[in-house]
Amino acid sequence: MAIPGGGIFKGMATTFRNLFAPKVTRQYPEERPQMSERWRGRLDLIYDPFGEHKCEVCFQCAQVCPVEAIDMSGFDSQGNRIRYGMPEIYDERTDPNAHRRAGLPARPMRNLARWDEAIDEPWVRGVVDGYGGRPESLVAIFTAVQERYGYLPERALRVVSDRMTIHWAQVFGAAGLGGFRLLPAEGHVITVCSCAACRFAGGDALLKELSAELGIGPRESTDDGAFTLETADDVGAGALAPAIRLDTLVYGPLTGEQARHLVHERRRADVRATVRAGRAS
Amino acid sequence: MDWDLVLGIARFVVATTLLLLLTIPTAFIIIQMELKVIALMQLRYGPNRVGPKGMFQSTIHGFKVLAKEDVTPDLVDRPTFTLAPWMVFMAAAMSMLVIPFAPGLVAFESSISVVYFFAILGLSVVGLLVAGWASYNKYSLLGGLRSAAQMVSYEIPLTLSIVGVVVLTGSLSFTQIIEWQLQHGWAVIWQLVGFPIFFIAATAEINRTPFDMVEADSEIVAGFATEYSGMRFGFFFFAEYVSLFIMSAITVTLFFGGWLAPWPFPAQLEGFIGTLYGLFWFFLKTYLFVFVAVWMRATLPRVRVDQLMGLAWKVLLPVALLNLLVTGVAVVVFNLSGVQ
Repeated sequence: MAIPGGGIFKGMATTFRNLFAPKVTRQYPEERPQMSERWRGRLDLIYDPFGEHKCEVCFQCAQVCPVEAIDMSGFDSQGNRIRYGMPEIYDERTDPNAHRRAGLPARPMRNLARWDEAIDEPWVRGVVDGYGGRPESLVAIFTAVQERYGYLPERALRVVSDRMTIHWAQVFGAAGLGGFRLLPAEGHVITVCSCAACRFAGGDALLKELSAELGIGPRESTDDGAFTLETADDVGAGALAPAIRLDTLVYGPLTGEQARHLVHERRRADVRATVRAGRAS
Repeated sequence: MDWDLVLGIARFVVATTLLLLLTIPTAFIIIQMELKVIALMQLRYGPNRVGPKGMFQSTIHGFKVLAKEDVTPDLVDRPTFTLAPWMVFMAAAMSMLVIPFAPGLVAFESSISVVYFFAILGLSVVGLLVAGWASYNKYSLLGGLRSAAQMVSYEIPLTLSIVGVVVLTGSLSFTQIIEWQLQHGWAVIWQLVGFPIFFIAATAEINRTPFDMVEADSEIVAGFATEYSGMRFGFFFFAEYVSLFIMSAITVTLFFGGWLAPWPFPAQLEGFIGTLYGLFWFFLKTYLFVFVAVWMRATLPRVRVDQLMGLAWKVLLPVALLNLLVTGVAVVVFNLSGVQ
């Protein structure tokens, strides 16, 4: 039935029917759409003018999310890497990308995520049980875990969350508060005490001295991965001010010269150990 | 003192003034209709904020256009640029003079009103062409040239399809054509081929969708009106809708019995009541055709510019000629002519 021009009348019929059809326009200020109780609007992560995420990985959004749909990783305002996820998932939010967006040379990332490392799960469960599984004791549990592993492995935090039956977002949030490492430190950790006593006794000069010696700033690692420099106000050696901690031992009071000597000693010992290991094999 | 002449002049002045005043509500009503009907057909609500049911939307548009800055670009040909909107509008307004609204209600009764009407309406193409030329803009010029080509081409089948009616009724006067239809029934019954040709050609003549090549906004910005702003643009806009009204009125007059009521078919009452009755039916039928034009605009896409001429010369013109031939033969053979 192909009458030339028949389509015109078909079209006209359609538009005429539409004349009386219900209209699709929503008269917005008077008619509001029915939104779900759980509607939170569009979620977005915003950047500061330097191209860095403004998100500080505080986990507050994850904690209030009614369906626990939010997960995150990134850097808090102190530059601490928090919540290592799978790198391919969180790649977009890693530091090098932020730098690239800002037009800065991208730093290669070190200490990539280790979300699947093997840990002693029964032991962690035992620690949790030892504290009665109470959220108030999270910090004590973290301290115990960090003492054993040198940092808080994500796997361990998962176990803590499961064992305490609290939302893991709260666990990660607490772990990010400070004082805990969320990644294994590279090489030897030199912690310069930044408590009032130590700074008064010349802690800042000590930090500067060590920075110059190692060629890195606080919260950075040397390129060969032998040392990590950081500051903390909980070295806990007021009488030894200014004090530093090398791995687990606290030294003090130190002058800049002594601190440098300490670093040299440590390096030489490492070289000797490497040579010895080479001979042995 | 020749009182007849004075009275005639006075009547003419009053009638033209009234007609000019009539264009204002006509254009506003049609624009409002276009906004609303197209919106409804597109499943929108259309204007519904200004005034009751959004009734004053087009009026507000009119005032807005009045208040806008009237820009005259530097390189335009000033006299013609200024004159062009006036020419287009006057062509439309002057052709209104001979439209018979109701029995005895016509501004200028003439025995050759059909000729006058189409001669004057054809002048609007001059205005469009001048507007396109004076604007010193390639889009304006393209629009103006398109309008010239299109309107000149479509005027021929348009006129030929009317000649069918003229031969049938034996008159060039709109009033007499309506009176013929009072006796013989609407001319559309006698001109089943002539009417579609007239309708298509008339649509093209007044640059309505689907023949709105002249201001095809997706191709040539706004055509001849590109450089116009403020009230000068408003005049073009006005003229467009007034000519839509006029074309509908002429369609009704020539083919649908003008003021004649459809029931009893065809009928006409006497006296003052008859005038009102005729006026009612005339406007009803006219706005029905305005509605059809708006309806088409909501439905049909634009004809391609290279197919436009072909339709006029290869289809409409031969069919119109054939229609004229058949009409002429039939008038002679069956002695239908209104010529006494």
